[in-house]
Amino acid sequence: MTDKDRAKLTQLAERLVAFGKRNGADEIEISIQDGIEFSVDVRFGNIENLIEAGTRALGLRVIKDQKTAFASSSDLKLLTLERLVKNAVKRASLSSPDKFSGLPSLPSDPVDIPSLNLFDPGITRLDSKKKIALAMETEKIALEDKRITNSHGASFETKEITTVLANSNGFLQDYDQTVCGLSLGLQAGETDNRVEDFWFSTKRHFQELESPEKVAGTAVERTVRQLNPRKIKTQNAPVIFEPLMTSWLLGFLFACVSGTSIYQKTSFLVDKLGERIANSSISVIDDSLMPGLLGTSPFDAEGVSGQKTIVVDKGLLKNYLCNTYAARKLNLESTGNSSGIGIHPSNFYLLPGDIDPQKIISSLDRGLILIRTIGHGLNPVTGDISRGAFGLWVEKGEIVYPVSEITVSGNLGNILNGIEMIGSDLDFRSAVSGPTIKIQELTVAGQ
Amino acid sequence: MNKTSSLTFEDHFHIPDDDLLQILSLSLSRGGDFSEIFMEYKTYNFINMEEDIIKETAERISRGMGIRVISGDKTGYGYTNDFSTHKMRKAALTAASIASSPPVQEASSLFRSSFPHNHYPLLESSDKVPLEKKIFLVKECYLSAQNLDPKINKVKVSLTDMTQHVRIVNSEGLDISEARPLVKLVCLSVAERGSQREAGYSGGGGRVGLEYFSQNLSPEEIGRDAAQEALELLEAKAPPAGEMPVVLAPGHSGVLIHEAVGHLLEADFNRKKTSIFWDKMDKKVASSRVTITDDPTIPHFRGSYNIDDEGTIPKKTLLIDRGKLAGLLQDRLSARVMQKSLTGHGRRQDYTCIPIPRMSNTYIDRGEHQPEEIIQSVKRGFYAHKFQGGQVEDSGKFTFSVSSGYLIENGKLTTPVKQATLIGTNIDILNKIEMLGSDLKFGLQTGTCGKEGQSMPVTDGCPTIKISRMTVGGQY
Repeated sequence: MTDKDRAKLTQLAERLVAFGKRNGADEIEISIQDGIEFSVDVRFGNIENLIEAGTRALGLRVIKDQKTAFASSSDLKLLTLERLVKNAVKRASLSSPDKFSGLPSLPSDPVDIPSLNLFDPGITRLDSKKKIALAMETEKIALEDKRITNSHGASFETKEITTVLANSNGFLQDYDQTVCGLSLGLQAGETDNRVEDFWFSTKRHFQELESPEKVAGTAVERTVRQLNPRKIKTQNAPVIFEPLMTSWLLGFLFACVSGTSIYQKTSFLVDKLGERIANSSISVIDDSLMPGLLGTSPFDAEGVSGQKTIVVDKGLLKNYLCNTYAARKLNLESTGNSSGIGIHPSNFYLLPGDIDPQKIISSLDRGLILIRTIGHGLNPVTGDISRGAFGLWVEKGEIVYPVSEITVSGNLGNILNGIEMIGSDLDFRSAVSGPTIKIQELTVAGQ
Repeated sequence: MNKTSSLTFEDHFHIPDDDLLQILSLSLSRGGDFSEIFMEYKTYNFINMEEDIIKETAERISRGMGIRVISGDKTGYGYTNDFSTHKMRKAALTAASIASSPPVQEASSLFRSSFPHNHYPLLESSDKVPLEKKIFLVKECYLSAQNLDPKINKVKVSLTDMTQHVRIVNSEGLDISEARPLVKLVCLSVAERGSQREAGYSGGGGRVGLEYFSQNLSPEEIGRDAAQEALELLEAKAPPAGEMPVVLAPGHSGVLIHEAVGHLLEADFNRKKTSIFWDKMDKKVASSRVTITDDPTIPHFRGSYNIDDEGTIPKKTLLIDRGKLAGLLQDRLSARVMQKSLTGHGRRQDYTCIPIPRMSNTYIDRGEHQPEEIIQSVKRGFYAHKFQGGQVEDSGKFTFSVSSGYLIENGKLTTPVKQATLIGTNIDILNKIEMLGSDLKFGLQTGTCGKEGQSMPVTDGCPTIKISRMTVGGQY
């Protein structure tokens, strides 16, 4: 974004903060997001969709007499926005006073934004032809493998986002970030016996993105290994989670340690701070300050500085993740996890172990490697998990055949205590990520 | 109604017809078969009550346009929420870049048309009702859940209402618009006993005015249902695991039809041959008891619309006719490539999205059995009552998550059970449908379906259904 555009957005934010104060708000917060996005989908060597666009949106929060109102608009005309501010002040009076409401105080230790390495100017310079070619090449490599019988297509996308945040406590900062991603979805097998899978790489820096060869090769391998699946008997069995599956499990853990679900009592981890919730090999961390990663940011949606929070330390639940509101409700400090209206993870990960994932498979006498799940079936109130699943059956340390049409079920609390081995293969592929893990026992339902 | 919505557009867009024609012309400046401008203005209001207080309210305005060019089976798309000539031209040129042939002749004028029926006439449009009155509805619902039982220790109620104005103009000269209301009141209740906690959920709404809450479904009823479910789950046991006969409750179980059948009959998956159904048109894919329909014209339903997001008047569409595959859900692109007629199922989440074939209100037709008779026919099995949702893959593998159900023992519903997952392959399950009840119902008017990152309001429905065998995931 040009300095001139940036100055315009910053001025708009400051102006609306002043306008809100003049019109009766005790506190007001303005956030603006300006984004440019590009995406191309190719399939069988042709472009399917090409999208390019720029959009802006503004969000605001007004507090008057401890009563809160929110508003947002993608129409950034000053008249529209001033009307929204006035409406919000009026609407706030119809809410109930809530002594926990309000903005955070000004941070004493602002984060050095450039050191976080969130922006790659190389992405802004990448031309459309190159982006299209990357997607084309990725799919082409995969289709050379004769076992692949159909393609969902390959996609390449880039995003450049500028965030401006201002509030009536004197906060005024902005930062730029970039993201790029390459992905591919495939099918193998004939119509009535198809299997499918995909692979992706998403990074803030173009140079770090996995190559077309790597993305294509992984997508092919992940797809064809599911060919000719069997059904298995219903049983309790040890289960190995591949990294993407561990990430999925951690996403569920995040929902259960989010301050909102704690004060709302919709988590099985309510009132468990300081208690053992996992075995002593388990440490889970949320860190928004790791340079260049997808979950990194200098400050959250309310202007609280990024930080590293130990969530689980060797099995003990140490912290809930909070925005300002949840923190006040729970008599804790904000951990800088505000997403605006709720709470979101930064880089939320399971501390890796030192075991090679291949050795984890070799250690399994008889059991399942979980490779994909589908469906819903997560209940944070109880920790219960029940999902449709795909996997690989292992006997005597060797993969013997793929399995499908099974479900796995268990309880997150039991799973966290039953993790027997932790792999070394943590790769921060997404903001929520974990390595390969082996779980003592889950119910696997089949025939 | 048409008149009002176009007035709204002129209020918010200030773009004369001549300028729209110029943009359409620019978007076909590099060739292409078709171009279109989708304009959207959406207002949204939200009230949230929890911990006995109205915690917050919100108001949102979203306004923008998307410009699309179709060339063969390729789509170019640009969108903007800045209506300066420069930005609109830029979006048009982005869309145009998909084609590379001589410019084509576009429409020289726009013909304003309208839809034949308004499927959602309102008495008390939510955007004209003062906030105080909406807060009253929220409080009624909240208190009804909270007061049902002392074990209810947490209630959360939210009311959202929105109006989406759309206007679609295209290179064929079409110019059509409508305003779509959408209201949703939902309640989440948590019941607690000792260290055990369970959550119940209910809700209602649709393309309705607020009269719905006095005429169709009261806020008290919604609150009571949510609390009742949480209380019942306190008594529920873990589900069984393994293959067994499954009986699906009417209404909520429609999600099975949505997942197992509906998605894979969206034309894009068949055009691309990724759906298991692509080579099965007119063939038998289900038990001959099964007839499945998608109908965007059911009055006031959440999934209904007067025009789809490509300006097409939607049609009630037969998907499976007594076991035989009979039709697909089409959008313009797929219909054009497959040389089929439009069914009016091209939908998009908002102006930033390309329209794709989507379901609206999908249901399986009633059969002839009494529901009791169906349950009585099962010696040992599982009765699926309420659902959290489901998911399907193109290969036909699908799951759906049951939040509450019962064991069936000797023809009777016995122990309540919770949190089970059902999994199967669609054609296999469709052929295992043994009995259909006479009690066709629709699920809650709160459902949202996700596809390719786009969320759309939908409903689904079914009568009591017996599936001879299905894998139930629970504890062993």
